[in-house]
Amino acid sequence: MGGQSGPTMDSGDFFDQSEFVPSSKSNAPSKPVQDRSSSSSGNEAGKMVVGNGSPDSYKVVFIKDNVSVHPTQNASERISGRLRLIKQGASLFMTWIPYTVQGAARRGTSIMKSTEKDRNLYTIRAVSLAEMRSIRRHTPPFGLQYVIIVLTSGLAFPPLYFHTGGVREFLSTLRNHALLVRSNDDSNVYLVNDVQDPLQRSLTSLELTEVTPVSVITPAAEPPPVVTKEDDVEPVPEESITSSSMHTSVYRQGVRREASREIINVLEKFSMVTKFARDTTAHLFGESRFLGNSEMDLDRAPMRLRNDDASKSNIEFQTLNRPQESNSDGKEAVAKGEDETHRRLTGVEKEKIERGEKEKKEEKEEKKKSAEEEAATNVGTFELVDGTQNDSPALVWGRARPPPLGHEEWATFLDSEGRVVDPKALKKRVFHGGVEPNLRPELWKFLLGHYKFDSTYAEREALVALKREEYKVLQTQWKTVSEDQARRFAKFRERKHRVEKDVVRTDRTIPFYEGDDNKNVDILRDILVTYSFYNFDLGYCQGMSDLLSPILHVVVEESEAFWCFAALMERMAPNFHRDQAGMQAQLSAVSKLVQLLDNPLHDYFKQNDCLNYFFCFRWILICFKREFDYNDVLRLWEVLWSHYLSEHFHLYMCVAILKRHRRKIMDEQMEFDTLLKFINELSGHIELESTLRDTEALCLFAGEKGTACIPPGTPPSLPVVEVDAFPMSL
Amino acid sequence: MSYAYLFKYIIIGDTGVGKSCLLLQFTDKRFQPVHDLTIGVEFGARMITIDNKPIKLQIWDTAGQESFRSITRSYYRGAAGALLVYDITRRETFNHLTSWLEDARQHANSNMTIMLIGNKCDLAHRRAVSTEEGEQFAKENGLVFMETSAKTAQNVEDAFINTAAKIYQKIEEGIFDVSNESYGIKVGYSTWTASGGTGGGNTSAQSGGCCS
Ligand SMILES: Nc1nc2c(ncn2[C@@H]2O[C@H](COP(=O)(O)OP(=O)(O)OP(=O)(O)O)[C@@H](O)[C@H]2O)c(=O)[nH]1
Ligand SMILES: [Mg+2]
Repeated sequence: MGGQSGPTMDSGDFFDQSEFVPSSKSNAPSKPVQDRSSSSSGNEAGKMVVGNGSPDSYKVVFIKDNVSVHPTQNASERISGRLRLIKQGASLFMTWIPYTVQGAARRGTSIMKSTEKDRNLYTIRAVSLAEMRSIRRHTPPFGLQYVIIVLTSGLAFPPLYFHTGGVREFLSTLRNHALLVRSNDDSNVYLVNDVQDPLQRSLTSLELTEVTPVSVITPAAEPPPVVTKEDDVEPVPEESITSSSMHTSVYRQGVRREASREIINVLEKFSMVTKFARDTTAHLFGESRFLGNSEMDLDRAPMRLRNDDASKSNIEFQTLNRPQESNSDGKEAVAKGEDETHRRLTGVEKEKIERGEKEKKEEKEEKKKSAEEEAATNVGTFELVDGTQNDSPALVWGRARPPPLGHEEWATFLDSEGRVVDPKALKKRVFHGGVEPNLRPELWKFLLGHYKFDSTYAEREALVALKREEYKVLQTQWKTVSEDQARRFAKFRERKHRVEKDVVRTDRTIPFYEGDDNKNVDILRDILVTYSFYNFDLGYCQGMSDLLSPILHVVVEESEAFWCFAALMERMAPNFHRDQAGMQAQLSAVSKLVQLLDNPLHDYFKQNDCLNYFFCFRWILICFKREFDYNDVLRLWEVLWSHYLSEHFHLYMCVAILKRHRRKIMDEQMEFDTLLKFINELSGHIELESTLRDTEALCLFAGEKGTACIPPGTPPSLPVVEVDAFPMSL
Repeated sequence: MSYAYLFKYIIIGDTGVGKSCLLLQFTDKRFQPVHDLTIGVEFGARMITIDNKPIKLQIWDTAGQESFRSITRSYYRGAAGALLVYDITRRETFNHLTSWLEDARQHANSNMTIMLIGNKCDLAHRRAVSTEEGEQFAKENGLVFMETSAKTAQNVEDAFINTAAKIYQKIEEGIFDVSNESYGIKVGYSTWTASGGTGGGNTSAQSGGCCS
């Protein structure tokens, strides 16, 4: 465990060379290590107690340092250790031995008492490959890679996080020694020794209820494992671990069951532990926040994986991240957390942090190459237990999306007169779950700002009537232009023509706009021409029809759709300004965000002359309208319009998508042309839900630093109102 | 798929003149009037044969709207050929040709082959620009000229292939350094690398279409 106490512990953990093989080595792809063979003796299969002087030899075929278990979301409670695959005769065993307390203590480091127990609990002394059911590989686009191993017994180990990469090598080594089959259902799942007998597969609720993480059940179910000396010894020298420690601590049920794939999924969920990992690039994200996290946790009991405890850790997480009521995007809350942290840090600790940071910078230079390799997955990330409260602001990868907001629930958001009591809660709800299609017409009016949240039923009714009249008047302004007048009114003809030629080229494959003489296409035209009179300075620009189309489709009523569109344009108009300043502002914000969240990718773009980010142009101009199918666009726009985590969620989304393809982009050495083509062709191939989750994580993760990348007034923020500004010259 | 050369084309011109329809007609041999308007750029590709050599055309169909110009300008970079399109039924699209040409000259490489195209020639009854005017403009500006219809496919094939033939001819004449990709030409399988520059071989590049 970490070399430093308190706040810097986590980073120290990563950088403390004395504990691990030298960084150059530990960051290099792990190669199977040919170990000096030593004597050992095999016991019954699956249980191996190797004594001294045994004739059988064993061989370490894989070794990886800095593989850790994250019992809680707190980085400080990460338990790091060494993962090994050991071959003995025809059998292969996996061991994971945590680094020791004493080892850490000897280096003058304090460590939480509780983790000692944890270490025993989580230690994998030796598990035979024959006992493994499946291995799932998780390589999130921005987070640590980890694997979850499910045993044939129905138990699962907690995720093993590979802090310095090596999942692929781990799997390929396994493949060399065992039958590893990729699951048909999920290419990230490897079935070990899969017996293809569907009859044997059963899925009973009984089995599910019996499922418990190995680490939790072990001590109770079996006599505690013999605590070997090695547990107290720094496990650095290979020889120091005698094979006597390798007896299995896996709780075994009497009957082995064929776990179905569904079971595997459930099992893995149980094994999900909260984590709050950080990494080499974490210095970008505000040390104090992370450090604060560990510091604050020092006086808390460690949290153990359990469904009930998970919510506890959630609560704690929220104290750091829960957006305040007064604030629409949660930035303040994070800042508050930081403040608190600062207050708690003593001068000494602060000094330590500074020193640590300096050291880290030096390390960084050295590690640049390997960091580049790892950056994709190393932007630390957090993950909470599956199935905890839906309203947690924290991200859960793999968390099911809550059901969309329906009428019944919507009513609970309103007071007796129809005011939205807690707009923030509503936005949050929409952000996470979206809105049921039949509620959209009403809710979109709020989200877009046409209806005020604090308006009453009566006020809204009046507004609708008033606005209908107003719309009529606006429309009359151009509908009454006679042919004769139009002949002398080139500007009008031109404007109308521009709209007309575009509405017939907008979403005509959607049933709502399909076919010749479609009435809705006419309405689309009428609204757009009317808008170009309502906002004559801006007029009509391409892209507007893409923005209006879904709105009309949802809202249906013409005048209401117009006002919804007009409200949206209050925010989006700068996208269409002739000087393109609004677009430039957003593109440059994306550039800054990439620099923050994926510096190697930023460097790559820089080297390849791609920093104008023009390849994101269409994404931003029309809010990904062309990148997803129609229904997904509706779903996405609700999320964006909730402005829950950020008004600029779409910019984070650009980063999330780019990050997801960073490997390919860089491996294939894409340049401006090829990149543009590649990005264009992603259209229709972006999975929305996972992208939203990634974006949410990025957004939370970037926190204040992310916000700082986006200058005030960047669309779609409402324009900054300058009180004494001179009226714009026309 | 292997090719001797890959040429990058761009299609430019006012919005609504039929750029996307021309591309679709050339790559898919169909006319789809409900095609979405273009935002940013779209891509198409097709193999053709010139002088018995397979040539891949990678075509960039750009957005025509004025306010997107700052973006579309960045697409000129490294294009070997351009189709500059106007709509024969809308005079203003013809009037804007000069500004398009200026853009092209300024942002593309000077050896880019530009084909001027008067599209929608199936709408003869609504013609607002005569063929002679188109020819005249092309002559004055050193362009190849053709009238097409993306709807009936008239001359569409030729417009693209004749442009490729011109580019090919320039390669044969050694005008391009084909190893320099900024000319919008990529050399495909290695046998052809040698033929870049002044390399021998016959120079009969015409594909048999009519021309200007
Ligand atoms: N009659 C006729 N109509 C055409 C022809 N080519 C295109 N059109 C019509 O003209 C309209 C515009 O065509 P597009 O190909 O979308 O125009 P574009 O140049 O790509 O326009 P932007 O993408 O806005 O720059 C479409 O509605 C087509 O139906 C043609 O050759 N003949
Ligand atoms: Mg087009």
